[in-house]
Amino acid sequence: MTFEIFVRLAIAGLTTGAIYSLIAIGFTTIYRSSNILNLAQGEFVMLGGLLTIFFIHRFSLSYLAAGILSVLVVTLIGFLIQRLVIKPLMDQSLLILIMATMGLSVFISGSAALVFGTSPKSLPPIIHVEPVLIISTVRINIQSLIIIGVSVLLIFILYLISHHTFYGKAMEAVSTDRLGAELVGIPRDLIMMISFGASAAIGAIAGICITPIIFTQYNSGAILGLKGFSAAVIGGWGRYSGALTGGILLGLIESLSVGIIPSGYKDAVSFTALLLILYFRPKGILGSRALSESRK
Amino acid sequence: MIRRLYIKRMEVYFIIILGLLPLLFDNILFHHIMVIAGIYAIAALGLSLFMGYAGQISIGHSAFFGIGGYSMAVLTVKYGVSSFFSLMAACFITGLAAFLVGKPVLKLREYFLALATIGLVRIFQVMVTEMGGLTGGIAGIYDIPWFSVFGFRFDTLLKQFYLVWIILYVLFMFTRNLVHSKYGRASIVVAANEDISKTIGINPASLKLKIFILSAVYAGLAGALFASVLTSVSPGSFGLDMSMILVIMVIIGGIGSLSGSVAGAVLLTCLINFISESRQFSLSIFGIILILFLIFLPEGIFRGIGLRWIEIVRTYADDDWRKKLDR
Repeated sequence: MTFEIFVRLAIAGLTTGAIYSLIAIGFTTIYRSSNILNLAQGEFVMLGGLLTIFFIHRFSLSYLAAGILSVLVVTLIGFLIQRLVIKPLMDQSLLILIMATMGLSVFISGSAALVFGTSPKSLPPIIHVEPVLIISTVRINIQSLIIIGVSVLLIFILYLISHHTFYGKAMEAVSTDRLGAELVGIPRDLIMMISFGASAAIGAIAGICITPIIFTQYNSGAILGLKGFSAAVIGGWGRYSGALTGGILLGLIESLSVGIIPSGYKDAVSFTALLLILYFRPKGILGSRALSESRK
Repeated sequence: MIRRLYIKRMEVYFIIILGLLPLLFDNILFHHIMVIAGIYAIAALGLSLFMGYAGQISIGHSAFFGIGGYSMAVLTVKYGVSSFFSLMAACFITGLAAFLVGKPVLKLREYFLALATIGLVRIFQVMVTEMGGLTGGIAGIYDIPWFSVFGFRFDTLLKQFYLVWIILYVLFMFTRNLVHSKYGRASIVVAANEDISKTIGINPASLKLKIFILSAVYAGLAGALFASVLTSVSPGSFGLDMSMILVIMVIIGGIGSLSGSVAGAVLLTCLINFISESRQFSLSIFGIILILFLIFLPEGIFRGIGLRWIEIVRTYADDDWRKKLDR
C-alpha cells in the first residue's frame, strides 16, 4: 500500500465514518430517552436516501428542497412509529420490544421495495466543484468535507441539546425512571415521540449524505443500521462523543482493510470489529456510563 | 394422572392423523409445503428453546441453518461423503460453530445480543459468497443428492415427509423431556433472573451456552435437510429474512411453547406459499404480522386466542358460567 493509496483510503474512510457516526447518533438519541434500541434505525437512513431520489426524479425538485422534504417525511414516520408501535408495547418485556423494532425494520424495507422498486439507486454528487488539491496527487472532494462538516456539526448540536437544555434533562429523566418523570410533570410520551422524530431526522440526513457515495436500495438499511450500531458500541454506548469516535474509527478500519484484503470482506471486517470490541471491552473505547449502570 | 393419560391419547390420535394426511391429500403442493414446514419446525423448535427457556434472543439462527446446509452440500457434492454421515457431520460442525461463536457472544444481553447475532448472519453470508472455491460463491451449490440411508433413497416428497416429520417428532419428544428435566427448570430460572440463578448454584453462562449450542444444532440439522430436499444451496436463502421467518414462527406459536412453534412453522409456511405469487409483498406482510402479534397476541396464537375467548365469555356469560370459569 503506497502512501498515496493510504491517504485516499483514509479520506474515504473519514467520509463514510462521519456518516456512520450520524447513524450511531440516531441510536443514541432514542436510547437516551427510552432505553430502547431501535433496530429500524437503518431504515430511516435508507428512506432518507430513497425519498430524496424519488422527490428529485418525480417532482424535479432541487437537491436542497428534496432533501428537506424527505427529512420531514421521515421525521413524520418516526413520530408514527412511536405512536403506533412503541407506545402500546412500552410495558412489555425487552424481548418483545426488540422483536417489534425488528418487525418494523422488515416492514419498512419491504414497503420501500414496493414503492421505490428493488434496483439500487444513487444520487449525483452534492456539489459540482473542482476538488481541493492537498498532497501532490491526492485530492479531497468538497463533498467529503461537507459530509464530515455536517456530521460533526449535528453531533455537536445534539450534544448541546442533550446536556445543556431542559429537554435533554427531561430525556434523561424519562429514561432513568419513567414513573418518576411522570410524577414531576414531564410529558413522557411527548419526550419519547420527539426523540423518535429527531433520530429519524438524523437518520434521513445520514441517508442523504451516503446516497451520493454508495448505492442505496430497499434492503441496505439493515446493514447501515448495523454499522451505525457497531460505531456506537465501539466508541462507547450512549455517548455522543463515543458515537463520533466509533464512527470515524469504523470507517477508517473498513476503508483501510480494503488495501489489505479483498473488498468483498469489507462488511465482515466491521462486524468482526464489533464482536471483538464486545468481547474485550464492551464499554467501548471511551467507556460508557449507560452500560456500567445497567450492569449493576 | 388422568390428565396425563388424556394428553398422551390425544398425541397418538394426532400422530395418526398427521401420518395419514399426506396419503389422504395426495397433492404435490401439499406434500411440498408440509416437508418445508417440517424442516422449518425443527429450526423453530430449537429457537423456541433458546428464546423461551434461556430467555435470550437470536436473530442469527439462519447462519446456523446455513452452516448446516452448506456442510451437507460441500461434503456430499465436493467430497462424495454419503448423505447420512454428512448429516451427522453437519450437526457436529454447526455445534462447533455455535460453541466458538456462543462463548463470546452470549456474554451480551438483550439488544447487544440481538445485534451481534444479526452480525453473525452477515459475516456468514460474506464468507460464503467470497470463498467461491469451496462454496460456489454467489451461485451456490447445485445437484445435492437426495438424503439416503443404508441404500434407501428418500427421492419422493412423500418419503421426505415421513423422514422430516419423524425426525421432528423425535426431537420434539427429546426437547419436551429436556424442558421438564433439571436443565429445563434451571433454564427457566436463568430466563427469569440471571443473578438469582447464580445464588442457587446454577451457572447461567454454561447453561445458556449449552442451550445455544443445542438450538444451533437443531437449526443445522434443519439446514442440512433443507439442502438435501431442495438439492441446492445459495447464500441468498440464508439471510436475515430467513432468521426473521424463524423468529415469527416462534412468536406465532408463543414464546417457549414447543408445540406452538411447530404450529407456527406450519401456519407461516402455508402463508409463504399462499403469497408466493405476490412475492414483492412478502416482507411487508411478515413485518406487519410480527408487529400485530406482538401488540395483540403476545402469548401466541393458541394461548392468546384462548385467553381472549375466556375474557369474552366471562363478559357475556351468566353467573353460573362465570363460577365455572373461575374454578
